[in-house]
Amino acid sequence: MTEKDYNESVLLYADNVYRFIVKNLRHTEDAEDIVQSAFEKLWIHKDSVETAKAKSYLFTVAYHLLIDHTRKAKRISIQESFENDTQTAYQENKDLKKVLHDALATLSETQRSLVLLKDYEGYSYEEIGEITKLTTDQVRVYLHRARLKLRNYLISPQQVL
Amino acid sequence: MQNISLHNYRDFLLRYIDEELDLRQTEALLAFVALHPEVQQELESLQSTKLDIEIMSCPNKAVLYKNMFPVIVAPETIVYPNKQKLFKKEKEKAPVVLLKWWAVGAAAVFILMVVRFGMLDQKTSSTTSKNSISKNKVLKAFPISNIKNNTTINNSTINNSVANTGSWTATKIVADKNNNTSNDMEYAAAQNIEHQSIPTVSSITTRETAQTTPSYHGDIIDVKPTIIAEITMPSFAGNDETIETYETIDTEAASSNRTVMVGAFEIDKDKFRGLFRKVNAIIKNKENNKNEK
Repeated sequence: MTEKDYNESVLLYADNVYRFIVKNLRHTEDAEDIVQSAFEKLWIHKDSVETAKAKSYLFTVAYHLLIDHTRKAKRISIQESFENDTQTAYQENKDLKKVLHDALATLSETQRSLVLLKDYEGYSYEEIGEITKLTTDQVRVYLHRARLKLRNYLISPQQVL
Repeated sequence: MQNISLHNYRDFLLRYIDEELDLRQTEALLAFVALHPEVQQELESLQSTKLDIEIMSCPNKAVLYKNMFPVIVAPETIVYPNKQKLFKKEKEKAPVVLLKWWAVGAAAVFILMVVRFGMLDQKTSSTTSKNSISKNKVLKAFPISNIKNNTTINNSTINNSVANTGSWTATKIVADKNNNTSNDMEYAAAQNIEHQSIPTVSSITTRETAQTTPSYHGDIIDVKPTIIAEITMPSFAGNDETIETYETIDTEAASSNRTVMVGAFEIDKDKFRGLFRKVNAIIKNKENNKNEK
C-alpha cells in the first residue's frame, strides 16, 4: 500500500480500531497508545500489506497488542476508569447500555473481543478467526458462550430489579 | 439443510444474531420461532446482548497521519573530520624550455669566453703583483738610484722615493722628447706633448704610484699602479727648471669603469659589448614576437 492508502486507512479505520480497543480495555489513554502502535506497525509494513486487508491487519495487530497489554498490566483500576468514561459518553441510554457494558466486562478478553469484532465491525467467523488466530468453530463456540453469558447477566435477578 | 428442532434451535438463534445464517436458514428459523413462543422470548433475550453500533472518534487521529503536509527537513550534514588529509596536490612539472642550437652554442661560447678571460685576468693580476713585488725587491736592493736606458730612454732616471707608507716606492722616469719610451702611456703622453708643440720640453716624467694599502688575494698581492705623467719645461730666461703638470692619467679609474665582476672573474666590458648587444637584440625580438601573438 502507498502512503496515500495508509492515510486513507487512518481516515477509515482509526475510529473503529480505537472503539474496539477502548471497549475492550476501558481505558482511553492506553487505547490511544495501542491504536498508535497499530498504525505505526502498519506504516512500517505498508509495502507488504495490501490495501484491501489493511483493516483486518490493523485489528489483528491491535488485538494482539491488547492481549499483551492486559497480560502485562493487569490493571486494577480498569473498572473505575471505564465507568467514568462510559458515564460521560453514554448519558442518554444510561441504564440499558450501562448494564450491557457491565455484562461485557464480565466476559473474558477473548470473548469480549469476539463480541466486539462481531457486533461493531461485522466480521464473519472466518475473519474473526484470522484476526484472533482461532478456528472458525472456536470463534463460533466462544462467541455463543459469550452471548449466553451476557444474556444470563442481563436476565439475572439483580439486573431485573 | 439441517432441520431446526428443540434440540438445536439455540445454535440457530445464536447464528441468526451473529448474522451467519443464509436466507433459507433464516426463513426456516423464523418459521420455527413463530411456532414456539418460548423460543421467541429466548430470541429477544439473546438479541439484547447484541451491541448497538456506537460512533466513537479517535482523539488523536491527526498524529497517525504520515506526511500529510510536506515538511522540509534540513539535510543532515556530516562533516568528515580529517578531510584535509585527503586532499592531494599534483606535483608541478618543471617547465620545458626548448633550447635552440644557436642559443646553446652562444651560451657555451659566452661561458668559455668568461672562463678564458677570467683566467687571463687572474694571470695578469698575478703577474702584475709579481712585478710589483719584484720591483719592490729591486727598489729595496737599490733604495735610491737612477736607472738609465740608453737605447730607449735617454736621460731617464728612475728615482725611487720611498713613499710614506713604505709599501710601495714611486718610480720617476724622465724622458726626452725625441726618445721613445717602452711604456705606451709614457709614449702617448710624450706624443701628446709633442702635438701641443711645446718648444722645449726637457723631460716628461711619468710616475707610477701605488695604492697606499695593497689588496691581498690569497697569496698574491694585488697592486694596481697609477701612471702620472709630468712634463718638465725649461724656462726661457735660463732660470731654474720649473715643473708643471699638464695631464694626469689615472689608469685605476679607467680600468674600474671598463671592468665588470662576474663571480670571481673580472671582465672587460668593451670586449663583450658586441655580445651584449646581440643578446639584447634577441631578447627584444622574442618580446616583440610575443606581443604580436
